[in-house]
Amino acid sequence: MLYQPQILEEALTLKADLGGDVDALAGGTDLLVALSRGQWRPKNVLDLSRVVERSEIRKADSRFSLAHGVTHAQLTRLPVRALAEAALSIGGPQIRNRGTLAGNLGTASPAGDGCVALLALHAEMELTRAGRGSRRLPVRDFFLDYRRTELRPEELITRVVVPADWTSAWHKIGKRGSVNISVVCAAVARSPQGRFGVAFGSVGPYPLTAPKTEALLNAAALTPELIDEAAAMAQTEVSPISDHRASAAYRRAMCGTLLRRLLTEHFLNGRD
Amino acid sequence: MPENVSEHGGAASPADDSIWHWRCKVNGQIIERDLPASTTLLHALRDHCSLTGTKGACEEGECGSCTVLLDGAPVNSCLVLAAQTQDCQVTTIEAMASGRKLHILQDKFLAAGAAQCGYCTPGLIMAAAALLKQHPDPTPDEFLQGMEGNICRCTGYKAISEAIRQAAQEWPTPPEVP
Ligand SMILES: Cc1cc2nc3c(=O)[nH]c(=O)nc-3n(C[C@H](O)[C@H](O)[C@H](O)COP(=O)(O)OP(=O)(O)OC[C@H]3O[C@@H](n4cnc5c(N)ncnc54)[C@H](O)[C@@H]3O)c2cc1C
Ligand code: FES
Ligand code: FES
Repeated sequence: MLYQPQILEEALTLKADLGGDVDALAGGTDLLVALSRGQWRPKNVLDLSRVVERSEIRKADSRFSLAHGVTHAQLTRLPVRALAEAALSIGGPQIRNRGTLAGNLGTASPAGDGCVALLALHAEMELTRAGRGSRRLPVRDFFLDYRRTELRPEELITRVVVPADWTSAWHKIGKRGSVNISVVCAAVARSPQGRFGVAFGSVGPYPLTAPKTEALLNAAALTPELIDEAAAMAQTEVSPISDHRASAAYRRAMCGTLLRRLLTEHFLNGRD
Repeated sequence: MPENVSEHGGAASPADDSIWHWRCKVNGQIIERDLPASTTLLHALRDHCSLTGTKGACEEGECGSCTVLLDGAPVNSCLVLAAQTQDCQVTTIEAMASGRKLHILQDKFLAAGAAQCGYCTPGLIMAAAALLKQHPDPTPDEFLQGMEGNICRCTGYKAISEAIRQAAQEWPTPPEVP
């Protein structure tokens, strides 16, 4: 059975009632690939792509609150650099017009570009269960293990909240074109008070943060020497594997390289 | 109102759990079909509407040969369920020519020799139409970002780029994309 609610409340009620017996479908850019490969055989489908509130972006208290169905195409126009750049790197326009940020979180791929940007930005997300209300949690607490998350079967991701006044940047090493699974990607963000966020993709079972590196950056003024230290520290905090795209050693080294580059180009001397 | 959608368009009736009453405006015409709910837009168009101009190749979102416009925006029809286009507008390659008069993009593709096997061509033309509608004079970045979802295995991209650039020079004089 395919359910196609037009309002969020109805979607939430269906999810709460059917729980694990219904799969949420947003842009379908992950799920329809799985359907085509015979890897997704849903009992029931909850199509969120027609929910009227899905595309809403609100700004309040120097934060953007993004509804669950905000697409990568929308994010490319958001003045939050790391998130916009991550979104622009995803697929081609056809994928960006359909794929959503909530779907990127829901898939929880280790390579999820949107997830990495959100981690660096210390973003929060709202998980909602009809009848029980919403819980807010840092995106940092969402990922538990390989493709395992905090999301309960009765819940939907309803919003993602990102700071609007942080400096941020993002970079991916990967193949150019729409076949774009990253070899490594990195995001760095800094609050107006000087608090850093550092995150990496494709170097662990899920998108990773680098808390020791962040602590190092938070403790002192940014200098080329501190950047070198941070780049070395970051390499100790990731746990990449070798596969057909790249070796573990290369990925580890690239984490240091990307971090050095992002910090130097976008954060040193108060640039940006 | 589709039969398995409630009054507020919400929960389905348990009467039928596999057939979806699809209603959609395709190339300006309202189409209604009963389809398995898991039918992709690509197969709805090709197998249920005899609109075989839209091509399926990878069916995994990688190649763009299945590109159509959904409410004006390019999407991979292989990654959208027909049901997800309920009461929307879909534009396919069949709508580009008016009668025997080819669309400017089709003309320029012919003139530039931008097609060999031609399998990628309908998708490229739809992606290019969307690009030029948004950016009639695209910068190199806009051009790349607009076309990076489409792959051609035969021609290389030189003639294709040339054809789109030439169409851009005569844009937006040609007939509007419906
Ligand atoms: C050609 C191609 C290239 C791609 N390139 C990239 C890339 O470069 N980087 C990248 O990160 N990804 C990439 N992707 C993957 C994909 O586009 C993204 O992960 C996208 O963000 C998924 O969003 P969606 O809306 O399409 O999700 P869907 O496929 O609809 O859903 C994905 C998962 O999220 C769950 N979900 C969706 N919405 C909710 C919600 N509101 N509440 C709870 N669960 C929900 C679904 O149940 C499902 O498990 C690519 C995919 C393709 C086909
Ligand atoms: S067939 Fe749809 S993208 Fe290749
Ligand atoms: S002409 Fe054959 S794939 Fe492009």
